[in-house]
Amino acid sequence: MTHIVVDPVTRIEGHLRIEAEVDGGKVANAWSSSTMFRGIEIILQGRDPRDAWAFTQRICGVCTTVHAIASIRAVEDAIGAKPPPNARLLRNLIIASQCIQDHVIHFYHLHALDWVDIVSALEADPHETSALAQSISDWPKSSATYFKGIQDRVKSLVERGQLGPFANAYWGHSAYKLPAAANLMAVAHYLEALEWQREFIKIHAILGGKNPHLQSFLVGGMATPVDPDAQASLNIHTIAHFKKLIAGAQEFVSQVYVPDLLAVASFYKDWAGYGAGVGNYMVYGEYPLDDEPSPELYIPSGVIRNRDISKVEEFDPSKITEQITHSWYDYEGGDGQALHPSEGETSPNYTGPEPPYQRLDTSRKYSWLKSPRYDGVPMEVGPLSRMLVSYVRGHEKVQGLVNHVLGTLGVGPEALFSTLGRVAARGIETQVLVDKIGDFVDDLASNMGSGELRIHDNSKWEPSTWPDDCTGAGFHEAPRGALGHWVRVQDGKIARYQCVVPSTWNAGPRDSGGMPGPYEAALVGTPVADPEQPIEILRTVHSFDPCMACGVHVVDSGGREVTRVKVR
Amino acid sequence: MTDRTAVLVLGLGNVVCTDDGAGIAAIHKLVREYDLPEGVEALDGGTLGLSLLPLVDRADQVILVDAIRAAGPPGTQVRIEGDEVAPAVYERLSPHQIGVADLLAGASLIDRYPDRVIILGVVPESVDLGLGRTPAVEASIPGLVERVVEELAALGYPPVRRVRSEQHDEGNRITDHVARTLGL
Repeated sequence: MTHIVVDPVTRIEGHLRIEAEVDGGKVANAWSSSTMFRGIEIILQGRDPRDAWAFTQRICGVCTTVHAIASIRAVEDAIGAKPPPNARLLRNLIIASQCIQDHVIHFYHLHALDWVDIVSALEADPHETSALAQSISDWPKSSATYFKGIQDRVKSLVERGQLGPFANAYWGHSAYKLPAAANLMAVAHYLEALEWQREFIKIHAILGGKNPHLQSFLVGGMATPVDPDAQASLNIHTIAHFKKLIAGAQEFVSQVYVPDLLAVASFYKDWAGYGAGVGNYMVYGEYPLDDEPSPELYIPSGVIRNRDISKVEEFDPSKITEQITHSWYDYEGGDGQALHPSEGETSPNYTGPEPPYQRLDTSRKYSWLKSPRYDGVPMEVGPLSRMLVSYVRGHEKVQGLVNHVLGTLGVGPEALFSTLGRVAARGIETQVLVDKIGDFVDDLASNMGSGELRIHDNSKWEPSTWPDDCTGAGFHEAPRGALGHWVRVQDGKIARYQCVVPSTWNAGPRDSGGMPGPYEAALVGTPVADPEQPIEILRTVHSFDPCMACGVHVVDSGGREVTRVKVR
Repeated sequence: MTDRTAVLVLGLGNVVCTDDGAGIAAIHKLVREYDLPEGVEALDGGTLGLSLLPLVDRADQVILVDAIRAAGPPGTQVRIEGDEVAPAVYERLSPHQIGVADLLAGASLIDRYPDRVIILGVVPESVDLGLGRTPAVEASIPGLVERVVEELAALGYPPVRRVRSEQHDEGNRITDHVARTLGL
């Protein structure tokens, strides 16, 4: 039995530590620990609930919009504000564009290097790469000259020792299976994706002005004026600009991302057999299509248990609890409690070893994440959960794409419950969203045309219009999965605030019954060819798209090592 | 390109992590107290990392303003330039350092690394969760703003101290409210 520590897991936001026992070339047991404390809840107490989004937006540099959305929804739910249709559409536009950009960045910039060998790309024959690229897509940048230019650029970076994000990977590892020509194609698209994402996210700049943090959020609506003829507002010109950016995104996703995904996956089909995880999938749902109290959602909510895709349960928010048996927190009523987030507590109490340390005592508390549970069981959240629930509920677009991907790879639906399934689901969702997002823009344009220019419900703006004591919940499907904020407002101030974030669902520790969280369960059975270079562990962990920065605060301030793998 | 920025002054850091927000606090103070010459843009970049690429890659010169781990007591002024920048963003900036490293590496990979990158900052005392800075670091913010002003002047873009605050448009009104809310 070999004990492996990967700390920090690289190419993620924030700080995650994985400990694993490897036996006979496979992970026998794994523990996931966030070594960062998250405590935005403490800062929010006593503040004006209308300002909460401005704080939660700063929790994480990757997810600024998602925490703002969840926050305004929670406060609106508590005080009874009803955002008008334009606010719903603007939010859908923000949410979908964030998700599309995030998924592309994840695939190319955070996850691809687990599958693509940069060093091998340097040895590729650009003509072969060109032939490969032209065989899988009509994307115009596919000449041998183009790929030769990319190869030269990367070579010169390597020669100058400026590897940047390409440093510290396991180049040459036997687990890399792509031919050199495919590696070079993927490197070229890595660079193109970098260019593309900076262009696409201008959607947010159009909505929110020059400020890098989108600031047009408002409890009860949005602060982005909508007026076809006014200059400083959403108008016919900005609508045209949106359409252009969306058309570019459709081209990039359908001609680059999805073909790349299928090409890479075809060499790694064995990964459809690893990384299944807990087998329970939960979705809050997203993209309200009307303004009713329980609107139709384009990506529906639901719960699937035990990989049973013959049925979907209705999601019931009252069944969510958080446990702290293995988390560095105290509960007033004792550590054995399972508290609903509306009654949640955030009382940090670090009892772990003094850093730097060798091993965590995983029989005791070992993470800053709590253990969220739904009806007492762990749930995976994220693109795979969303695509599964949509698939089972008969979402035509999702079914078509899932069947296309499964058919192309020649695998059955059971392949979805895996590391590869997670990666594929993210690509499928991106295609679904780039094909949908234009509708939100069209609906905005049509509202403008009919004179529907309202963006805000100000009937509940003044605290005097609020109940003395009220509670609310804001649910949102962030790129990484189901995000919930719970708020209690007393006498116009925040009395209690809790965030349960996607990476807590996925990366949380064991619960009071010893049941592992999704990362921990998914790692069991993952092959590890070389314990000194556990690239396979990174593949499964990265397939969830970890983002631990909701933790805000790094406890270990001793200078971050670029990467550190300990084998004992 | 028509939309080039001559000098981008970019505040970095997390405003809910006490001294980590020093650079952001300096940016807001700079914008409140000075008129910036044509071609200069000063923005609060938070911990946005790679999402800041569209701002950085259209700038000829960039001044990053941040909390920096370095020798010296809290509040000590630090300046980093040239070859020291790359190792500094990997090793010495505060918790969001990886995002900044990705940002600069990204600009380099698409061949749009700015002609010049300067990092100005102060040594933090604490990056614990909390709004506002520790007293030593808060006291160093006016000095940090002075350093940014001097740096801009040396680059040929001297800011002018504002006599009284001006009328703000709607966008600035929201920004001001958010900044005040966040204790900036």
